[in-house]
Amino acid sequence: MAARSALLKYLRVNVNPISRTLNPSSSAGLSFNVFRRLFSEEVRGSFLDKSEVTDRVVSVVKNFQKVDPSKVSPNAHFQNDLGLDSLDTVEIVMALEEEFGFEIPDNEADKISSINMAVDFIASHPQAK
Amino acid sequence: MGSPRLSGMQKQVLSLYRGFLRAARSKSTEDRRRIESIVVAEFRRNAKEVDRKNFLYIEYLLRRGKKQLDQLRNPDTTGLSSFGLDSSRNREP
Repeated sequence: MAARSALLKYLRVNVNPISRTLNPSSSAGLSFNVFRRLFSEEVRGSFLDKSEVTDRVVSVVKNFQKVDPSKVSPNAHFQNDLGLDSLDTVEIVMALEEEFGFEIPDNEADKISSINMAVDFIASHPQAK
Repeated sequence: MGSPRLSGMQKQVLSLYRGFLRAARSKSTEDRRRIESIVVAEFRRNAKEVDRKNFLYIEYLLRRGKKQLDQLRNPDTTGLSSFGLDSSRNREP
C-alpha cells in the first residue's frame, strides 16, 4: 500500500512536468487545427460558384422589365448594351441583393455597371447565398 | 469599365433612391408595391424634368427626400401621401 501510494506520488510528480511542457504546444496545435478546419469549411461553404452566380445574375437582369432578354449576356454592360441608366442600375443591384440575400453598400453598388462586375463582386462576397 | 463617373450629387441621389427602395422592403407586400411605384415614378420624373445644372433645386429635392425617407423608415408609416400632393410644387421654382 505504502509502496503503491509512493509509486503513484512518484509517477504523478513525474508525469506533471511532462504534461505541462506538452500542454501548451498540444492545445495550441489543436486549436489551430480546429480554427483551420472551421475556417476552410466556412470558406468552402460561403463563396458561391462563379458560374452559378453568373446564371442567377443573368436571369435577374433578364427579368427586369426594361431589358430585352435577348440582349442579356454574361458580358453585357448595363448602360452600353442594355440601355439602362443609373436609376435602373440601382434597381437591378437592389434586385441582386434580394436574390443573393445580402446588402451591397452604396460605395460598392455605385461601381457595379455590368453583369461581369456584379458577378465578380457577388462571387467574392462570403455572405452571398 | 466604360461608365461615366458619377458626380457627388448623382451619388447622393442614387443613395437616396436606394434608401427609399430599402425602406419600402420593410413594409407589407401591398404597401411596398405602392411605395415603390410612387418612388420610381417620382425619381424618374425629376430625372427627366429637372435641369441637371439646377443644383440649388436638386439640393432642395435631396433635403426634402431625406426628410420623407426618415418618415418612411418609421415602422408606423405605410405610405407616401406627401409625394403626390407635392407634384405641383416640383416644377422649377
